[in-house]
Parts: sequence; C-alpha cells; structure tokens
Amino acid sequence: MYGSNRERYIFVTRVYRSTILEAPIESAWDVLRDFNGHDRWHPAIASSQIERGNPADRVGCIRKFRLADGAELREQLLTPSDMETSFSYCLLDTPIPLLNYVAHVRLIPVTETDWTFWEWESRFDTPKGQQEALADLVGENIYQAGFDAVRAEMGLEAV
Amino acid sequence: MARVFVSSVINAASDRVWERVRDFNALPKWHPRIRDSRIEDALPSDKVGCIRNFNLQNGDNIREQLVGLSDYDLFCSYTMLEGPMPLWDYMATLRFTPVTDGARTFAEWSAEFSCDPGDEADLVGGIGTNVFQGGFDALKRHFGG
Repeated sequence: MYGSNRERYIFVTRVYRSTILEAPIESAWDVLRDFNGHDRWHPAIASSQIERGNPADRVGCIRKFRLADGAELREQLLTPSDMETSFSYCLLDTPIPLLNYVAHVRLIPVTETDWTFWEWESRFDTPKGQQEALADLVGENIYQAGFDAVRAEMGLEAV
Repeated sequence: MARVFVSSVINAASDRVWERVRDFNALPKWHPRIRDSRIEDALPSDKVGCIRNFNLQNGDNIREQLVGLSDYDLFCSYTMLEGPMPLWDYMATLRFTPVTDGARTFAEWSAEFSCDPGDEADLVGGIGTNVFQGGFDALKRHFGG
C-alpha cells in the first residue's frame, strides 16, 4: 500500500475510549448527532463548517474544521444512524500523520438508570515510532477531552 | 420477534466481571434465581454446543445451549432448548464492555424470541426484570455497586 515506504509504517493502531453520561440517550444524541456541532463543545476545535452547503447528517458530507492551534482538518461522515445512535467518519486531510483513520461513535442506553453508554473508537496507521504518542493524543486529547466537554455542555457532573 | 434489552453499569473492571460469569455452568454461583446447574455429557463449559441443565429456586428446569463465547469481546450467546415459559426460538447474548473512563463495566443482556402476542408483554417484563436485571443487581452487590 505504501510501496517502498512500507517498512516505515506500523499498521492498524486501535484506540478505544468509553464513558457513561448520567443522562438519557435522547439528550446525549441531540448533542452528538450534529456532525458540524463539535466546535460548540470540543475544546480542541476552534471552528467548523460543512462543505458545499450539505446538511450535516447527509452521508458523505465533509466537515472542514480548524483546531485551536490553527491546523486545518477535513473529515467525512460515513454512516450516520439515528436507529443505532451511531456514526462513523474518516479523516481526509490532516497535518498529523494519522493514515487511513476511521472512527466510530456509538451510544447505547443504560436501561437500569436511563443513562447513556458512549464509546468512541478508531483505527489508523502511523509512522514507526509515533504509534504510542499518536494513540495517546487521539485517546486523551480528542476522545477523553470530548467526553469531559460534552459532560460540561450538558451540565453533568464530572466523573 | 419479541425483544428484551437490559443494560447496567457495574463498578468493577470488565475482566473481573467476566471472570465471574464466563463459566456457562456458574449461574448458581452468581445469579440468585438459579439453584443448581450441570453441563450435560460431561463437556467443558466453554465448549460451543455444550448444554447447561439447571433448576430455578422454584424448581423449574431449563436447558440452554452455548452458541458463542468470546474471551476477547467478553460475550456469550445461548439458545433455550427447553423451559417452562410459553416461547420458542429464544436466543440471548450477555455482553460486557469496558468503560475506560473509570474502571467500570457496561453490561448488556438481550434476547429475542417468538411467542403468542398475548404473552409478549409478560414475558418481556419477566425476563427483563427477574432474569436480566436480577442478575445485574447480584453482580453489582458482589462488586460493591
């Protein structure tokens, strides 16, 4: 796939993070289903827009967003599902060497307490030697920070 | 198809929860409604296809067959072969997923089955409350929350 560069890459790093939101799944999904809404709650995202005036819940729509440090990224929505309260997306352009990055976000109801289980995971390739640092960056600075931010956005107590 | 889905959060790491429930013959050890259980034909209890033959506290006898077990994904699936309830084509899955934000476990127990429409509400309510939530309550008590 990477031709003569093959030996420079480590294949398929997996990052997995999950949390419990002490709120019903409908209210959590209200926040998360908007593919263009992350600049409202995620501290790493400064601004975001959907390209070509597409609706943010249309399969294939692309969000172009800027990080607080000015870096620009583009991500494409692959599989939004109101039935499964989930969506997948992939990274198209990024200054960070996350290759073939595909992520999944999924909410599942906690029926006992009417809470929400939220998992966020991805697979991607990284250059050799950067695997751990990038997995940590994605897991902590994006996913865990996202959990904390949504909890704050929804007015829930920190765990 | 009728469907039951019950989920809970257990205050222990998922490998500890799994260790307690992965033995298909261990229901009497962790589920308060089950009095005794044995695996038929002396098969190992983690062999797909093995049958657990168990009695509830009220004396009802049930036979269930293991159809899937994953120590990697922490789930087991089984079908009911015989039992006192007016249902058929019963297939259930018990699944545990780590909650990385705190050392907790997300527990899901779901089933699908066929029955007479008039029995559905009672069956769904009874299985969901007594069997599934009752099992989670026992696990939560064991692990302290």
